[in-house]
Amino acid sequence: MTEAAKSSFPLRALLLCIAAWLLPTSGHLFLGKRFRALGFAVVLLAAFAIGLELEGNLYRPVPGQPLSYLATLGAMGVGAPYLVARYATGYEGRPEAPGFEYGTVFLLSAGLMNLLLVLDVWDIANGRRDEE
Amino acid sequence: MSHLALMTVYALLVGAFFALLWRRGRKEQLRLFLQIFGGMMIGAILLGWLMYFFPTGPAAPIP
Repeated sequence: MTEAAKSSFPLRALLLCIAAWLLPTSGHLFLGKRFRALGFAVVLLAAFAIGLELEGNLYRPVPGQPLSYLATLGAMGVGAPYLVARYATGYEGRPEAPGFEYGTVFLLSAGLMNLLLVLDVWDIANGRRDEE
Repeated sequence: MSHLALMTVYALLVGAFFALLWRRGRKEQLRLFLQIFGGMMIGAILLGWLMYFFPTGPAAPIP
């Protein structure tokens, strides 16, 4: 870790993480990792789009079902796409759709993958990760 | 899309994601991608064949 990274309050890293959560891969883009940002964007958006196409479940909290809260947190990890799909378009998924279960896995995976990217942005911004 | 096609797409996406996240350098990334992709595909097909030996239950009701 560099001296500058050790001594300063990680406000920049925090802002980058918020950006990375809200707009998937934007954290890597701001950090100058353009190639990786592009690769992550393709993977995340493809997973999310396939999940929507298969009409999978975009998790939301269900009273009396504690696991639904965890699943919602995971699905919300994808940031803006979740918010747009849920609140702007009113997307819910269709349980009787043939690809419902698969679609749910794709949507949840997209959220969890973006949460890993947020952690990666935090590590890179704080100099905790070896970069080429 | 068939189950196999969806599984293949999923394994491709997960393999690409972790190769980009965990490795630096094209060769290492490609190697990890192939390991994850191959592991998921071969593992799923092997599990599928192992489940062949388990007795099947009653047919699911048609909604």
